[in-house]
Amino acid sequence: MSYSVHLRFSVTCLMVAGLVSHIDTSVYAQYPGYTPVRDIVSFKKQFSQESTKVLSITSEFTQEKTLMALTEKITSTGKFWFKRSNRVRLEYSKPFTYLVIMSGDRILLRDHQKETRVNAKSNKLFQQVNRIMIDCVQGTILESKDFTTRVFENEITLLLEMTPVSKTLKEFFKTIVLSVDKKDYSAKSILMNEPMGDITLISFDHKKLNEPIADTVFAP
Amino acid sequence: MNRLLIRYSLLSLCVLIHGCTSDYQFLKSVRVDNGCGRVTSPTWVGTSWYHTSVDVTGKHLSGLVLIKNMPDSSRRIVFTSEAGVTFFDFGFDQNGRFSVHSIIKKLDKKPIINTLEKDFALITGIPFKSGDVQAWSMGNEIYFGVQQKKETAYFITNKDCSSLRRLELGTKMKRKISVRIARNGYPLPDSLDINHYTFPLRIQLIRFEKE
Repeated sequence: MSYSVHLRFSVTCLMVAGLVSHIDTSVYAQYPGYTPVRDIVSFKKQFSQESTKVLSITSEFTQEKTLMALTEKITSTGKFWFKRSNRVRLEYSKPFTYLVIMSGDRILLRDHQKETRVNAKSNKLFQQVNRIMIDCVQGTILESKDFTTRVFENEITLLLEMTPVSKTLKEFFKTIVLSVDKKDYSAKSILMNEPMGDITLISFDHKKLNEPIADTVFAP
Repeated sequence: MNRLLIRYSLLSLCVLIHGCTSDYQFLKSVRVDNGCGRVTSPTWVGTSWYHTSVDVTGKHLSGLVLIKNMPDSSRRIVFTSEAGVTFFDFGFDQNGRFSVHSIIKKLDKKPIINTLEKDFALITGIPFKSGDVQAWSMGNEIYFGVQQKKETAYFITNKDCSSLRRLELGTKMKRKISVRIARNGYPLPDSLDINHYTFPLRIQLIRFEKE
């Protein structure tokens, strides 16, 4: 190998190394205290196995929507139920009342005026948005073709950063970051980053796992 | 057959007469009482959140509307879903000029944006801020109106000017939009009920206090 080729090779290696270290630095900056999970394949397998042990969740939730440009924040609270598989009930109680029940492809929405039933199959957007919440809480989000995923961890929490692939979802979300408790693989929070910079954080508190929930709770 | 023809002709005549009747034909021009107009004119102050439902051509959707006066005297109107996704973010600058800061593709259509611009301009009192106000009486109500190209925006009070009854937007012939206002009205109305008369659209806003 001539000196010039060797030099060029070394410089390239340095540049690549520099890029890698730059990526790592930016990742740390993005999620301080977290490191990337390198072996995604075996992680996916383990995540899928552990998540299936969560058969039901009953919890309270707090939703914080921040409108960045308007320096305005609104906090809403309510109750949350999940039952494997594909059944979710979100009941907002303060400062407004609103109910969402997702049961397979059937969705019920109840606001202060009306009750609306939607079949997710007949509406692609509804289907995709419906699946995000269900996939996040039942641990199937890593199998979703709607997102590319990066995974980070610290001692107690897993962070799954999902970037939408489809144009439809890209319009609504820049990324969705799911935070998962390592001790029981249940969702701790869902952070939705919108393209214009607004964020919505849904946090689950006082979780009760695997307690029986009547099917009527999810009757749409 | 003859009877059927007569019935059809009468029906057509009724439709024709009704079609030619102006919703504002009985307005009588009166002197503008500036004191009254100032007191009852819909003026928006501060920031409010509304739980909002929209019924349009048989479809129903709901969400949250934020109306916020910004420090530079501009105004922003944001519509989000209850779960937090932003559908649109509109603005009116200090001079009432309208702009779209963001809107999802499904709603990004000129007729939709024009309709919403008129609705939100009317309920936040923008036409009445700087235009020349005229006044008319009809029945036991006073109509204060500001001409806007081919339409007139009205705020309507009772005869003694003690309360604001509703807002309207219409052409010379036809009422196009009316807004019913809750008892606790401006500067931060408790509820607003916007009805369109040229196509089936109803928007209801109910104010809630932030936690």
